[in-house]
Amino acid sequence: MKKLLQSLFILLFVAGTAMAQNRTITGTVTGKDDGKPLPGVSVKIKGAKGATQTGSNGSFTIAVPTSAAELEFSYLGYVALSKGISGSVVNATLESDAKTLNDVVVVGYQAVRRRDLVGNVATIGNKEVANKPAMSLTQSLQGAATGVQVTGASGRPGSNAYIKIRGVGSINASSEPLIIMDGVQISSAAYNSINPNDIEEINVLKDAAASSIYGSRAANGVIVITTKLGKPGDPTIRYSYQYGKAEVQGLKNVQLMTSAEKLQYEYELDYTNPLITSAISTANGFPANSTITSISADQRQSVWNSLIASGAGDWRKYLLRKGNNKTHEISLSGADDKFKYYFSLNKNDNEGTEINSFFNKKGGRLNIEYQAKDWFKIGTNLGITQTFERQVRETFNTQNLYASLFLYNPYEAVKNTDGTYNTTMQGFSSIEGSLNNPVLYNRINSYGTLFGEAKFFKHLTLRSQIGSTYNTMKYESYLKPGSNLATLLGYNQKNDQGNQDFFYTFTNTASWNQTFAAKHNVNFLVGSEFSKDALYSYSLTGRNFPTASVETLENASTPTTASTSRSSYALESYFGSANYNFDRKYYLTFSARRDGSSRFGANNRFANFYAGGISWNIKNEKFFKADWVDALALKASAGTTGNNNIGNYDALGTYALNVKYNDLPAAAPARLPNPNLTWETNMQYDGSLTFGLLNNRLSGDFGYYKKETKDLLYAVNVSTTTGFATYQGNIGSMTNSGFEGSLTGTVVRNKDVNWSISGSFSTVDNKITKLYSDNVPNGYGRFVVGETLNTFFLVKWAGINPDNGKNQFYNIDGTTTEEYSSGQAQLLKGKSPIAKYFGTFGTDLRYKDFDFSARLYYTGGNYILNVMDQVAASDGENVNSNQFTEAFNYWKKPGDNVHYANPLDPTQNVTYDTDKYLEKGDYLSLRDVTVGYNLPVKYAKYIKSKGIRIFAQGTNLAMWTKFKGIPEVGESNRERTDFAGTFNLYGYPPLKAYTFGVDVRF
Amino acid sequence: MKKILFTVGAALVLLGACKKSDLELFPYNQVETTQAFNSEGDVQLAVNGMYAGIRTSTSYYSGTWNILADVLADNLVLNNSGRLSMKAFYEWRYTGESTYNLFAHGYTITRRANAIIENISKLPKTAFTDNATGEALALRAMTYFDMSRVYSKTYTNASDADLTIPYTTTTDPSITPAKEPVKGFYDKVIADLVQAEALINATNGVGRLNKAAVAGLLSRVYFYKGDNANTITAANRALGTTPNLPNIATFPAIWTDATEAGVLFKVKNTSIDNLNALGVNYFQTVAAGVKSEYTIDYSFFQLFASNDVRKTAYTQTSAFNNVLQNHVIKYKGRVGQPAGVVDAKVIRTAEVLLNKAEAEYFTNPAAALADLILLKSNRYTGYVPEVLAGPALLAEIQLQRRLELAFEGDRFFDIKRRNAAINRDAVHGENADGTGKPPVFATMEAGDKRFLLPYPQAEINFNTNFTQNPGY
Repeated sequence: MKKLLQSLFILLFVAGTAMAQNRTITGTVTGKDDGKPLPGVSVKIKGAKGATQTGSNGSFTIAVPTSAAELEFSYLGYVALSKGISGSVVNATLESDAKTLNDVVVVGYQAVRRRDLVGNVATIGNKEVANKPAMSLTQSLQGAATGVQVTGASGRPGSNAYIKIRGVGSINASSEPLIIMDGVQISSAAYNSINPNDIEEINVLKDAAASSIYGSRAANGVIVITTKLGKPGDPTIRYSYQYGKAEVQGLKNVQLMTSAEKLQYEYELDYTNPLITSAISTANGFPANSTITSISADQRQSVWNSLIASGAGDWRKYLLRKGNNKTHEISLSGADDKFKYYFSLNKNDNEGTEINSFFNKKGGRLNIEYQAKDWFKIGTNLGITQTFERQVRETFNTQNLYASLFLYNPYEAVKNTDGTYNTTMQGFSSIEGSLNNPVLYNRINSYGTLFGEAKFFKHLTLRSQIGSTYNTMKYESYLKPGSNLATLLGYNQKNDQGNQDFFYTFTNTASWNQTFAAKHNVNFLVGSEFSKDALYSYSLTGRNFPTASVETLENASTPTTASTSRSSYALESYFGSANYNFDRKYYLTFSARRDGSSRFGANNRFANFYAGGISWNIKNEKFFKADWVDALALKASAGTTGNNNIGNYDALGTYALNVKYNDLPAAAPARLPNPNLTWETNMQYDGSLTFGLLNNRLSGDFGYYKKETKDLLYAVNVSTTTGFATYQGNIGSMTNSGFEGSLTGTVVRNKDVNWSISGSFSTVDNKITKLYSDNVPNGYGRFVVGETLNTFFLVKWAGINPDNGKNQFYNIDGTTTEEYSSGQAQLLKGKSPIAKYFGTFGTDLRYKDFDFSARLYYTGGNYILNVMDQVAASDGENVNSNQFTEAFNYWKKPGDNVHYANPLDPTQNVTYDTDKYLEKGDYLSLRDVTVGYNLPVKYAKYIKSKGIRIFAQGTNLAMWTKFKGIPEVGESNRERTDFAGTFNLYGYPPLKAYTFGVDVRF
Repeated sequence: MKKILFTVGAALVLLGACKKSDLELFPYNQVETTQAFNSEGDVQLAVNGMYAGIRTSTSYYSGTWNILADVLADNLVLNNSGRLSMKAFYEWRYTGESTYNLFAHGYTITRRANAIIENISKLPKTAFTDNATGEALALRAMTYFDMSRVYSKTYTNASDADLTIPYTTTTDPSITPAKEPVKGFYDKVIADLVQAEALINATNGVGRLNKAAVAGLLSRVYFYKGDNANTITAANRALGTTPNLPNIATFPAIWTDATEAGVLFKVKNTSIDNLNALGVNYFQTVAAGVKSEYTIDYSFFQLFASNDVRKTAYTQTSAFNNVLQNHVIKYKGRVGQPAGVVDAKVIRTAEVLLNKAEAEYFTNPAAALADLILLKSNRYTGYVPEVLAGPALLAEIQLQRRLELAFEGDRFFDIKRRNAAINRDAVHGENADGTGKPPVFATMEAGDKRFLLPYPQAEINFNTNFTQNPGY
């Protein structure tokens, strides 16, 4: 039907114009790559009126005046071509142009040609995010663009990452950049449910000129994701498959004790564990009141040997595993002159590296664009993903599998002789817990965008779009009857929670594009936007299940809680931008936005944001004659953005009604009011230079940025004597500044070989510049004017006194003491959890049909309070749990100059939080190594394939660091909310992964 | 032209599609503070909210309060097979960063009381408002008194220069108060309780503060103040003419919430609230047996006579991993209900009687002996009244206090009140036969700085008017 309409349209067009013409030209347009006909190619007569398009077989017919000499062929994604008219047949062959295709960037509510961009935008292409195994999409962004720092929250499958664009924009750990996918804001949690292969490209808007039009949500930067749409040509079917294995990264610089070592350590510390107590009891033939020291050395060794024999040994075998991950994906895409489409389905199963954890997802996407009239098009992007996740606990105790690895002694057995799980000296079997206390998350995330776009009077484009996300989550946590925890608590229980989150954005824009006198290019945009979010959630609990095999709450004989809640917020916005360039040499841009948010008090509900930028394309200047320079441009911009990333009702002082006493309703103060609560605003300055030299064999960019954030949103402290600790408020100002640059050099470039080396660096200098009230305490991080955010504030450790083996501490006045006092804590200038620099080194090598790439990622300048080391090298405090071998390095006699105190001195059997455990977080990681082979088309075509690619990839294969443990610390663990990177508290460990994949196109 | 008008019209309609009221959004489970005291119903919610504050605090009566004063003193010994919970308190190694958190929790509760007292005048004065005011005043005084016991010297040991926590009576969030003299602080506690006793109903039930409970609290405060006459008169008001202690048969039922006899005030913990902290503070039951965090100090356990009903109500000797230990089972839970879930007893008649007896020892020893006999005859099977006088009488009253209020949040404060030393059994460990690991630190001298727990460092960092206790 469509083809018929299309032909009819062409016929009518031809009939309507034929009368004024006197020659008819026919021809066929084909693609150079595969020689196949191209439908929908625009054919114009140079210097005269009249145009047509090629039909589905690539052919066209056009009537031309006698004066016409040339035809112009143009087609998106191909290099435009002019051909002289000779005779009545003109055939054309168009060359595809990858660069041209990528040349349009959809940012700031409209499509802009990349070369005309004034803002600082880093683009991450599909290649860089697709086919990344075992890691979330967010983590694969790591190192992909300068200024964008991505720290994986943990190695949990499906976990998020912390994305920081140009430093710490806001203080709250949850602050994340605004993520816009196909015009709709999505959360970073939903972001991980997206299929990376559906992504056409990701644009990171780094400076104000690019991001300011997103206004109040853009203070932490903006990430704009565009999903794929079919490319002109035959429909392409693509199938890909990946299979991989992931394992936990090994500890660096420390090692857990073996059974023999631990028993020796306990013996030295005069500690008798319960297993030894029962081994040397009278029941085993020992005299009454035997102790580990009273028996003979041989007896002791034989007791130890029996423990070593019955113990688990290496607990990793039981708590961790090599997780499989498998991905299947199929897509169909294509386009003709009116209709573009992309359809995909995917399935991804990810086993966690901790036993009994997994993250599985299935999804699909349908993107369609239809040019209904020559002035009107409509389109829709629909995506839906279902994820199913089984989580294991991440507490700071032995309910956590990874913590158990460090706490269980190697001489303790996995199971008791009766086959039940051994609860060990820690009192809990995390293995049993992970089996019998399952925690399941079932989420459905759906994204839908529907738009209509109309062009009038050549220059005006009106666009109206409704975008929405509808996310549901179901959580089920079951303490099965008979499980260890249910026995401890005296009841079994199931808790079901869930929520529905509906968010929509209604966006309307009008833009005007016009070129005057061939050199003055002008673009104006105005628009409005309204967004609203409505969240509904429930929680249901019941107890007394008859048996573990039933798990729905209808089977619980004692229902205990049933509660629901709601929350909503809205944002209303007006915005506009103006762009002008003269002859593509001098560019000017200006944008403004006015936002109103329901989250702020009525007095401060609305705020304005604005930005301006200039750009000078030196290469396009006539006076610039250096042929060896292929590109040279300078950019500068300044502007504001804001942050409304706080709770929905934080300005209101309230009494909570969801309180009860003695099963009667009650009310309790929930929040202090802050009628002055206002936006956090950013003023950002940016300057950068882009260049390409020696036929683009050497290219790169360098830039400098400075972000001044004021009215930082944060919990403002009050005296606890008021009954509150904090209220939500604005606490001060901070700056982030830094340099960033990247350089790519092509060493060899010829038909068979292409070898390039690249590197990048980014720096972050974060400083607090103003605080409205002094010294906001925040655990071990302090806010001090002139210092980095969350600079550590701890008592300084002064080493072990060689004379008596006691820990020594510095007083604030510089004297030393053996008495720990929290009042002597001091600011450790220059030491904060914030990395000061990061970047990559990489190389790409292609030889004929083989390719190889490797990327190293480095980061450093940050400090981490190494709690895992503190627990495992504890001066005897934690002698009942396993320790690192370094704990042997304790004080034994006067004169010993060692790192650990005398554990036989009971006053030393306690570890205080001091800078003894504060370590540098610097590391260098071999993040990614890929080897691939593209089967030549001449072979692939035997199975009617357009291309086959086989690849193998390794992730995090090696790491170099001085940190004791693993320095890649994101969240402390999932059940805590510390400032990212402050502590390591047995969060799900980062991965090392190997993946094999095949990708076939038909 | 028509097309232009249409276009411009459509653009304007679309661009201006929102209303201001779209941004007026309010929470679904909260009411603005300014609207929280509009009626007696609102006040009743706020009163219930005060008690809910005690129930939800992890540092107060429904939290670790029932073990803190025993862990800090000489009633318990650390069980090395346990989870080593509260070890820093047991070994007196608390710092400003790791101190007991009743400071913040207490003020959260008193703030709820302060809001009621500030707002009650909005409503016409009625019997209802009097009762609500009485409950708020009494609950505030009780909480401040307990906080002061943790962080400060008690009245009789304090000089005029010794300071304690600020007695905040406002809801103003901008205050940064300094500490106050202990002596004036006690006067404020007493003034609030005296006023409360006059206003409060006698019939609120033991799940709320009531006239008898307030009188009982007054006897407690006067007792710490060393005001014997007032201790006795307040105790008499609390106990009435025939004190219900209760008897030996009923006594164990107090601890399973099967009776309210002998309880003046307790914080309710329903099976829906399901807080098991009181029980879990002491032990959990696992396959290997009752697994205690702390077992009973060997020497102390020997003081429980076999005919003492408290021995079976409070303790149990059973094996953990085949080793016999003396466990505290006072909070094992209600019959047939989840383990460790019980109401938190705040003040009982027995404590009031013991306050009175010790006060009478100095003023009327015969009455003291009579009270002692009254208590003991309700605790010891086959008890034959004895005749005691002088230091022996005092010692017996204090021993009965230790036994009766064991594992109930009293011992450390009582030693502190008497300005005595803590002497744990330094020889015996956690097992029933005295084997195991004796305490690493067995003795704390009278007047040691660690009798005053450190204030939270966070308050000192923020509130420059506030100072830490000496030595931290």
